[in-house]
Amino acid sequence: MQGMIRTRKNQKNELSGYLFVAPAFIIFLIFVLLPVLITFAYSFFRYDGFNPMQYIGFSNYSRLYLDKIHLQAYMNTFIYIALTLVLEVGVGLTLAALVSARFKGSIFFRTAFFTPVLLPGVVVGMLWTFVYNQRFGLLNALLKAIKLESLAISWLSNEKTALIAVSVVSGWIFAGYYMTIFYAAIQRIPKDLYDAADIDGASPIRQFLYIKLPLIMDMVVVAVLLCVTGAFQGFDLFYVMTNGQPNHKTEIVTTWLVRIVFNNRDVGYGSAMSVVLTLIVLIMAVGINKARRHTEY
Amino acid sequence: MKTKKPLAAIVYYLVMIIISAYCFFPMIWMVYSSFKTNLSIFKYPLALPESVSFTNWKEAWRIGKISVYAGNSLFITATTTAALLLFSAMAAYAFSRISFKGKGVLVSLFVLGLFLPIQSYFIAQNAIINFLHLGDSFFCLILPYIAMGVSLAIYILREYFSAIPTEMDESARIDGAGHAQIFWAVMLPMVTPGLATAGVFTTLSVWNEFLLALLYIQNPDMKTLTVGMYAFSGQHSTDYAMLFAGLSMITIPMILVYFMFNKVIVSGIIEGAVKG
Repeated sequence: MQGMIRTRKNQKNELSGYLFVAPAFIIFLIFVLLPVLITFAYSFFRYDGFNPMQYIGFSNYSRLYLDKIHLQAYMNTFIYIALTLVLEVGVGLTLAALVSARFKGSIFFRTAFFTPVLLPGVVVGMLWTFVYNQRFGLLNALLKAIKLESLAISWLSNEKTALIAVSVVSGWIFAGYYMTIFYAAIQRIPKDLYDAADIDGASPIRQFLYIKLPLIMDMVVVAVLLCVTGAFQGFDLFYVMTNGQPNHKTEIVTTWLVRIVFNNRDVGYGSAMSVVLTLIVLIMAVGINKARRHTEY
Repeated sequence: MKTKKPLAAIVYYLVMIIISAYCFFPMIWMVYSSFKTNLSIFKYPLALPESVSFTNWKEAWRIGKISVYAGNSLFITATTTAALLLFSAMAAYAFSRISFKGKGVLVSLFVLGLFLPIQSYFIAQNAIINFLHLGDSFFCLILPYIAMGVSLAIYILREYFSAIPTEMDESARIDGAGHAQIFWAVMLPMVTPGLATAGVFTTLSVWNEFLLALLYIQNPDMKTLTVGMYAFSGQHSTDYAMLFAGLSMITIPMILVYFMFNKVIVSGIIEGAVKG
């Protein structure tokens, strides 16, 4: 008798568990999980989105290695990663060192440096397209003002500078973001560690390099991984500023993917591209998770 | 504590002011250029406007339909955030307080959602939206945005629920309250900081989202602010004064909101990002 009541109560309990999870799960299932599986299935077919699908095995995957633009998109992504590791994580670390040096007014500068992070990438991209404009752009106007007119070029349509120019904007946005992550980690370092260094007369720069940096190293690893996975998923800035131009020198995986799927209607091939990208991002994410586990103290 | 050398302080503040200028000058240039004519933007790109006239702003507001796009973005962002917080809190409560079969599997699926990039599902998501005839309604963005955000929100909220001592809900249960009552009246008010974190993160991600809004919405009157502004720049690509005005109109309110609530916004973004 007692047992029966408990079972009935448990069943009621179980039912409410499902009811509480249902709204979130059903939406998640229909709009994320199922599409992941369907995209995977698409990758084995020739499909234009309308006409009947045709099974072609791994052909879409072998095409990935022959598609020069696809390979170039990965090459560009690697360059972009190298640049943003310096311009986002490296600069962010330097900024964290600056705002955590014990001068007054750190809150003001921290607030200021973080500002670009919250603006829409599209808006930032459009603004910087103007900054880089050859005729009236802020950059060239400043170069002219300091008599360096010869350096004033069309930054975004020059094959040598376009990718760097977009990476600089990425750094302009995200340096403040990594600064904030590092600053938070530095704040968690016990105060008595610096007091000893203060007594020894260690300079702020030495204190940062020898006390703070080693203690936030785990967070640096997390930041590097966040920066790399973020770079693989980049889209907004590139699409708005150059969309692959000039001559695919700024083509990245997602700008190419959007063109393949939504302009060329090559859904099957695009799906194979997205499966490969997903695997790369998931492998990186496992890495992040492992690194992050070390940061919890 | 040592007294600081004045020279070091001067160098320090000089460096900090230069970096601040690098952060803000592009935006300041954008705002004051929005008061100039196209001719003076071309002739004297650095010069301040001779007079402040809001002609460009009025034109951008009217021709660029900024008010329509902002309204759409506001509606989509508010609906998504409200629904997402409610559904995520419900699920997080269940994961933290109710034991039921298959819970582990469901939790792992949501955790997987933390790592799946948008590129892993947007192709087929578009097909599902067409299949369900959701195209060109706000639901074709709201539902995907909820689906993309629940994993992180559940993850954050579950931690907040688990931090609440079980005596709280047990005493309510002894008083005869069911899960719905306990969730709504006892537990939800206690996770407000978690709701704020998840809410800030969701609001900003949805407000700034571009890729899906670009691909799914065709009707020009239903575009969001980001896509609307992008389309506007395509149609009036040479009317720089008006585009500067449009960009300023989007940027200034966001910066004001950020300065007012900067603490909760920063912690929302950072906590959301480091966990997701």
